Amino acid sequence: MGGLAEPFQFEFFVRGMVAATLVGVLCASVGVYVVLRSLAYIGHGLAHSIFGGAVVSFVSGISFYIGATLWGVFTVLLINGAARRRQIGGDAAVGIITTCAFALGVALISRHGRFTRDFDAALFGEILGITSGDLYVIAGVMALAAVVIFTWWKPLLFTTFDSDVASTYGVPVAWVEALFSLVLAATVIASLQVLGATLIAAALVIPPVTARLLTDSFTRMFALAAAVGGVSGLVGVYISWFVDVSSGATVVLLQGALFVVALGWTVVRSRWPGTGGGERLAAIEGATLD
Amino acid sequence: MVELAPSAPGHRPPPADPADQALVELRRYTTGYERTAVLHDIDFTLRRGEFAGIVGPSGSGKTTLLRAIAGQTRRFAGTVETHPRAGERALRLGYVPQVDAINWNFPLTVGQAVLLGRWREMGWRPWPRRHDRELLGHILERLGIGHLANRQIRALSGGQQQRTFLARALIGDPDLLLLDEPTSGVDIKTRHEIMHLLGELNRAGTTILMTTHDLNAVATHLPRLVCVGEGALVADGAPEDVLTPEVLQRTYGAEMLVLRRGDAIYVVEHLDEGMSEAESIPDEVGAGASPLGG
Repeated sequence: MGGLAEPFQFEFFVRGMVAATLVGVLCASVGVYVVLRSLAYIGHGLAHSIFGGAVVSFVSGISFYIGATLWGVFTVLLINGAARRRQIGGDAAVGIITTCAFALGVALISRHGRFTRDFDAALFGEILGITSGDLYVIAGVMALAAVVIFTWWKPLLFTTFDSDVASTYGVPVAWVEALFSLVLAATVIASLQVLGATLIAAALVIPPVTARLLTDSFTRMFALAAAVGGVSGLVGVYISWFVDVSSGATVVLLQGALFVVALGWTVVRSRWPGTGGGERLAAIEGATLD
Repeated sequence: MVELAPSAPGHRPPPADPADQALVELRRYTTGYERTAVLHDIDFTLRRGEFAGIVGPSGSGKTTLLRAIAGQTRRFAGTVETHPRAGERALRLGYVPQVDAINWNFPLTVGQAVLLGRWREMGWRPWPRRHDRELLGHILERLGIGHLANRQIRALSGGQQQRTFLARALIGDPDLLLLDEPTSGVDIKTRHEIMHLLGELNRAGTTILMTTHDLNAVATHLPRLVCVGEGALVADGAPEDVLTPEVLQRTYGAEMLVLRRGDAIYVVEHLDEGMSEAESIPDEVGAGASPLGG
């Protein structure tokens, strides 16, 4: 077997491709809510913080998934607690807590004296090193995210749009936010091996923002974001085989290219009045700069 | 005249007619946010079918009173009692926030925004059923925005935006409609349309409580006014009873004049020298035109 079908003869490649596709859909779906709540920074911070958790779990000799989950949930709770204090603010709380957690990981590595392949993977991703166990974890987190998102579709949307008003309509906002934090932490942990801490934020943010450029409907934005995430995962890993570039980086670069195409399309459309392109462009600028 | 003494502890409002059904009752209620109490020792009762407005200067506690009734503030002292319909544990509230508080960049169409108000009835289904869509169409038509169901919320006029969020409040079949400055930042025509619509809803049985900054074009036309000043209820009653220079002085901390022509009331901060009272009343008010219609 050779040519374009060549990589499919390798089981590790097929596993990596499936993992990247699932992680692409998962990050993009969860990322829709992250972007619309202007929390893009939290995805970035959480990924770095969980890297610290990965190191701590390695040093303590416990499972990466258990250690990172506990660490991730602890970090989210700390951020929520700190952000409630008016003097600090959400962005500063994320900045302080997640970088400190990351620094703790780096400190432990330097003290431990070894920088193993696992840490390399946690930082930069190792799609082709994905095991069946990793795939099960990704599929499990995806099922959790699907259950939370689809059964709580309206409460989650209402809370994302306006949490104060949602509570007056009887939405259990605190529960919705706690559950979403759990799904976000689980998503970052499941994606760590595939994309690495440095690239997760991109996978959370780029597909939803690309989708937002193309539609004004929440339902269509969600579907488009998931499609962009999944297709870029699938195609990105495939391309990376032939260009011999890191798979995670190729996936993110492909997402970036799709974003540029969507942006170009919106700019062109904005020249034609009545198409909504100009308004969407303004909406994206407002959403990302706020 | 129902003027409340600000320093009278233990004050009680006049006993309600037993035939009136109270919807919300605040008793000696002190409330605010985090560690700061904003409203102190409030006694306030809202009965079914009422249409009341809350007026007062910025920072006086108008919105806090609205949010206290919506259960969004912290209780420091006192009690709040609500009387939901039979078989329900809590009041059904329809809350219309200030337009400034809404994220207009959010990718929501009018239909999607309005259906959020029906989240409870729609259960776990992400997509609306036929009955939900029919109800949505009915509400949008009733409010005159039936043709805008697929329009993004940002691409609407001020009046259409207010109607959208009014529709979201109404689709949940609320016991009480709470509106925070519904006429703020809209032009005169839109303000008339909104007030006319609210008047119609009230005549159809909806209980309404709203805050407003607009004394002359809105507050003077409401059946009941609550004046809030420096965190306390200053007065509560019909506009012709509560809108007096003394009450306004205590509410706003500024000297104001109240001019009357027939049933019309007009509040001015001061009169220019040489200007007679009759001259100073605009025709719109002088003619007694009520934006509530009916």
